[in-house]
Amino acid sequence: MNKNKFGILSMLLAVVVAFTSCKPAVEGEETGSKILINEILMTNETNYQDDYGMHSAWVELFNKSYGSYNVASHLLKFSNTPGDTTVYFIPKGDVLTLVPPRQHTLFWADGQPNRGTFHVNFTLDPTKESWIGIYDGGNKLLNEVTIPANILAADQSYARAIDGESEWEVRGAGTSEYVTPSTNNYTLDKNVKMEKFQTQDKNGVGMAISAMAVVFSGLLLLYIIFRTIGKISAWWAMRTASKAKGLNEEETKEAMAKGATPGEVFAAIAMAMHEMQEDAHDYEDTVLTIQKVERRYSPWNSKIYSLRDLPRK
Amino acid sequence: MGGFGDFLIQNLGDFWTYTGIYNATWQHFAMIAIGIFFIYLAVAKEFEPMLLIPIGFGMLIGNIPFNMDAGLQVGLYEQGSVLNIFYQGVQQGWYPPLIFLGIGAMTDFSALISNPKLMLIGAAAQFGIFGAYMIALALGFDPMQAGAIGIIGGADGPTAIFLSSKLAPNLMGAIAVSAYSYMALVPVIQPPIMRLLTTSKERVIRMKPPRAVSHTEKVMFPIIGLLLTCFLVPSGLPLLGMLFFGNLLKESGVTRRLAETARGPLIDVITILLGVTVGASTQASEFLTLDSILIFGLGALSFIIATTSGVLFVKFFNLFLSKENKINPLIGNSGVSAVPDSARISQHVGLEYDPTNYLLMHAMGPNVAGVIGSAVAAGVLLGFLL
Repeated sequence: MNKNKFGILSMLLAVVVAFTSCKPAVEGEETGSKILINEILMTNETNYQDDYGMHSAWVELFNKSYGSYNVASHLLKFSNTPGDTTVYFIPKGDVLTLVPPRQHTLFWADGQPNRGTFHVNFTLDPTKESWIGIYDGGNKLLNEVTIPANILAADQSYARAIDGESEWEVRGAGTSEYVTPSTNNYTLDKNVKMEKFQTQDKNGVGMAISAMAVVFSGLLLLYIIFRTIGKISAWWAMRTASKAKGLNEEETKEAMAKGATPGEVFAAIAMAMHEMQEDAHDYEDTVLTIQKVERRYSPWNSKIYSLRDLPRK
Repeated sequence: MGGFGDFLIQNLGDFWTYTGIYNATWQHFAMIAIGIFFIYLAVAKEFEPMLLIPIGFGMLIGNIPFNMDAGLQVGLYEQGSVLNIFYQGVQQGWYPPLIFLGIGAMTDFSALISNPKLMLIGAAAQFGIFGAYMIALALGFDPMQAGAIGIIGGADGPTAIFLSSKLAPNLMGAIAVSAYSYMALVPVIQPPIMRLLTTSKERVIRMKPPRAVSHTEKVMFPIIGLLLTCFLVPSGLPLLGMLFFGNLLKESGVTRRLAETARGPLIDVITILLGVTVGASTQASEFLTLDSILIFGLGALSFIIATTSGVLFVKFFNLFLSKENKINPLIGNSGVSAVPDSARISQHVGLEYDPTNYLLMHAMGPNVAGVIGSAVAAGVLLGFLL
């Protein structure tokens, strides 16, 4: 029995371990935060214009989650000189600070915060190594990036190769990649998954095999676990019964086997007893005893006239 | 007076262009006839009346012709209309999980817990989904559409709606109507296949009575079921999560009011809204296409494949079971999740061959396993294709 118990426990443990992810919960800085710095352009000569028609440097943020994210009350910090950090507080009360799921928002690094929520109080200098970080309202660092000095020419951006991913690259003039302000760094122009299915699994056999394997393994696991639980349950019931009656294992098994009468038998006995009791009653009196009770009305038999005191209202 | 008369005539003329009579096409009348046929089936034949009455009447609602260019905001597909607001539950896929909550709260899984090997029949019957998927691909549907069509073979209306709303929203009306129609026709489709695939000896196999299941096991089932299935197929979470949650409400024994609401008023309200809006989504202009006819054909095939694979799997499984543990293959059909109709079919067909052999309790095992299996299969299709 002990061996069995040990086997069952080991199997359950193996199942639990099999279901446990080996991946760490937080993989570096990238997975911790929903809002990320996604692309930076330091020298804007002919690139994207702001609402004032000005070509200014910009910093793009990306909401990598599938829910909206509000950057109001967050801090955008910038430094290109050790010990000297400029902090921009993103104002509250502007509905545009709510970044939709998987979307971008752009902050203009023109040093003119009086131009609106999205104009920060610092400018960028490509000749110096620059650090930019975004902090939440509690001053907790959410994401940061350091742009090496002199790697960006005019109208070139330092961007993540794919939105939200960890690999950075230089884009724009002289490179094969485009600068992509307020839009995806990597555009999906085809449904890769679908194309794979259409080329590799034209007749659907692969899908049928793999999907049926998953469905079967899911229900097979349930079967194994509930078979085990059923056995444990039966063993537990026997143990409790043997303890209560003071019998040993063999005696209890014998007693339980005797009591293993199918439910139908009990149902039949119960029904027979019920019928017998009902029948006895039915044969006792087979005459209907409902009689009309006549109560002819007369003021003399009216209850109200038989009262000595009228009820108080 | 002449000017006023012209005004009246013009006004009446304009009104005429707004009437249903002016805008009617033969397609509208065809759909209205189908709707009336559904109501007839429900009232006269009592085929799934809870579903066919709302769907049939929804078909009438959805096929009243009107001037679609007038921006009246009355049609199901016109944003902001009342019907469109009701339709959001179908389109965004939140009616099906609520239906599953109710199903969970009314389902007794003890037949399955007492004889867990019946779960495998529920898994085998899901082959109907993938058989139909392969045929749909051969007929030229793309993989996403084929997946949505295949799920009809799961014989589970809410699952079909949930999956098609994600994979092929444009085919959802045809898929939902097809799924519910064939669920209603289970008593017609399944018995001939069951008789064809079984021998007279197999049909009278007596199965061991299920053992009593303890309260602890019943409480553990939804918790373990959720953890196991959803860790494996997280994309099935909305359906499986709600199914097992509803079952825990029922089995915990301490949330009776919540369980009664879930399996009573809540599921009734959602069934009404779901049925009417699915029916109304069959607007002639969207519904009467060659694709819809193909989907109806594929739906029938998927039911046939599912029933066949369930029955054949039991026969195969019996090869490995001892004599006293053999399973009656007549319960193989109930692996499709049309609860409890397909289990009832097992019982009826079984009684034809042995009037004292009651299969209902045994058939409920694969039947509820089919509900889990089809939700898992939907999750797998979503994970693979989306």
